[in-house]
Amino acid sequence: MYKYVFRRVYQLIIVFFLFLVSSYVLFDAIPGNAFQNLLLNPDLPPEAYEQVIKLYGLDKPLSERVILYIGNFFQGDFGYSYKHFPRTPIELIAERLPRTLMLFAMVNIIAFYTGFLIGKILAWRRGSKSETWITVTSVFSYTIFYPWWALMMLWFFGYKLNWLPIGKFLYPEKWYDAPYDSDVIFVSMIKFTLVVSVVQILVYIYTRNIESLSLRRNVRFISLSILAILSILYWNSGDLAIQKPYAMDIAYHMILPIFTVTVVAFAGTALLTRTTMMEVMKDDFILTARAKGLSQKRIRDRHAARNALLPVVTSFIFTIVTIIDGSVLTETIFSWPGMGQLILDAVLEEDIPVAMASFSFIGVFALIAHFIADISYAYLDPRIRIQSQG
Amino acid sequence: MSNEKDIAKSIRRAALKKNWRLFRRSKLGMIGLYIVIFFFFLSILQPILFVTGVWNKGVYDPVVGYSEQFQEFLVVECPTEYPTEKYKNRSDCPGRTEVNVRTLYYSDAEVGDYIIQNLQPAPPSSEHILGTDSLGRDVFSQIMEGSQVAFVLGLLSATLGVGISTILGTIAAFFGGKIDAYLMRQSDLILMLPTLPLLFIISAFAELQVWHLAVVLGTIGGLGGSVITIKSQALQVKVKPFVDSARITGGSQMNILFSHVLPNVAPLALLFMVFSVTGAIASESVLSFLGLLNIDMSWGLMIYLAQVEGFIFSGMKFWWLILPAGLSVTFLTGGFYLVGRGLDEVFNPRLRDR
Repeated sequence: MYKYVFRRVYQLIIVFFLFLVSSYVLFDAIPGNAFQNLLLNPDLPPEAYEQVIKLYGLDKPLSERVILYIGNFFQGDFGYSYKHFPRTPIELIAERLPRTLMLFAMVNIIAFYTGFLIGKILAWRRGSKSETWITVTSVFSYTIFYPWWALMMLWFFGYKLNWLPIGKFLYPEKWYDAPYDSDVIFVSMIKFTLVVSVVQILVYIYTRNIESLSLRRNVRFISLSILAILSILYWNSGDLAIQKPYAMDIAYHMILPIFTVTVVAFAGTALLTRTTMMEVMKDDFILTARAKGLSQKRIRDRHAARNALLPVVTSFIFTIVTIIDGSVLTETIFSWPGMGQLILDAVLEEDIPVAMASFSFIGVFALIAHFIADISYAYLDPRIRIQSQG
Repeated sequence: MSNEKDIAKSIRRAALKKNWRLFRRSKLGMIGLYIVIFFFFLSILQPILFVTGVWNKGVYDPVVGYSEQFQEFLVVECPTEYPTEKYKNRSDCPGRTEVNVRTLYYSDAEVGDYIIQNLQPAPPSSEHILGTDSLGRDVFSQIMEGSQVAFVLGLLSATLGVGISTILGTIAAFFGGKIDAYLMRQSDLILMLPTLPLLFIISAFAELQVWHLAVVLGTIGGLGGSVITIKSQALQVKVKPFVDSARITGGSQMNILFSHVLPNVAPLALLFMVFSVTGAIASESVLSFLGLLNIDMSWGLMIYLAQVEGFIFSGMKFWWLILPAGLSVTFLTGGFYLVGRGLDEVFNPRLRDR
């Protein structure tokens, strides 16, 4: 086991190195560079442009720059952003990342939970009319042309009904005399959400083994209401009472993106769960459970759904990896200032240090997730022996 | 010899018939098949209409056609404050058959007069089933052209991608060791690159035509995540008893790989094929929607044009510019997806009805 993990880590480092080199070469292959618009300014002499290029080291040959960049990278020096000059890529990512993660973590958790629930019921009701129609609807919400759908949602809720804001992170006019930075408030929102969801999951896990359905439901309901009361008290106490209206403003801006993406995202999980559940239901142990005289609901939830979970969890891990990648479109359409917009701007403006830093951040994220997925495959399915993976 | 061939042929025909019967039983698959056939019909109808001369190329060409549409407009003066009796808010004035007197620079018509003006985008009429866009091009013809693009792109890239990933994934699972390690690290590398920014970069230094894009999407999809998933499926197949018994009865490596492991991986590969058709069509539409492709006309481009010309927030007033293209992308990708589901129920014995 340790030998396997060690070998994987060793391979990871090589892959990461190759990744850095290839992404630098790709960025360099884009015609032009970040400072080309200086040439358009008639007040600047051409020497100024050449001086800037020299200052940033862009006049050196590609191979030299790649070696220099990777050398600095492993010493923890990511350079400075070309476009937001005095700031470093790390500062920019630290500012943008929480916004993206908060938005998409919520989307994914809601989508995964509802998707799994719906998929479970769909597979159980196989062949009925309602199953067909719900499946067709979720297929179309899965394959809906996303930018178009987002624009339609913006038009309908933001413009026609005027219920929700059209994009953006906050209303600037509400924040003129705000005592806090928006990031400070956002961080306290993240902390709050994290604590609440951890408590919720714990409650869920501990009540899972309660046999009686009504008792379980009641316990969950009571714990949920206690949690709600506690959180209301929490947001009205001391410092947080001042932060509350601002936090509400940010939360208000999050509703529409979360809803829009969830509608698209839940269907994928639902359809995957439906397929895997239908495969599991053919297995012999389901027949055994029926023969034992267990209730339908128990067979569905304990025997079938539990075993259908493995591929769904794997796909969930892969979804987490694609969060930042997938956020590009959403954030562009909803003008949500997160990682997606940062990457898009960096790529289009050829801000190489920022683009490289965010690409390598995504890369590390993806590598770790795949590593975990590989290990958990071996852990969750004992038939797949680690030895066979080489 | 010929007798044997005939028997093989009849067996194949019977199998096909049986599969078709199974497929027909799945309602979802049939709905999907009808949708795909409908769009395929649209895509071949356009050249037929041009060749037979039913449609004049100058008027109905999706890219350079132009259709004159004149209509009588009532000249009105828009009020400065809303709401008034006639108009609820600013976007209601001027109405569909009205023109604001303040925007009439070239004519000395007065309020209450009727003037004849060129009307673009024109609403649906008997001549243009889905109206015309702001440049006077027929929207229905554009939808047909877009479905040609979608079919070529989707099928080409899906075939390429699934071919690559099935072969590589099965090989990785079956042989293991160094080959597996290399292939898995390669797909890690591809997966680490964020897809959409990568496509932006590629479209910045290469002028992407439809088939270039198909090759790029197919390769990225084929080397990426699907290899890992197909490998995990193949691993599960590899430890099944029938593979062991095939090995014990003396099947060669290649025989086991191609006649035992690969057919059992095929359902998942099929699922991925559908995923990649939907994915390829969606990627093309997204890239066109962002204005990054070198394509004359596609569904994404139609939405892009509707957006940059400001029609998307005019709501349903110009619905023929917004709805057909978006719904076409959604329905065709959904149709392919449903067909894949139906096929999945045919080829995957575990999914068949009890």
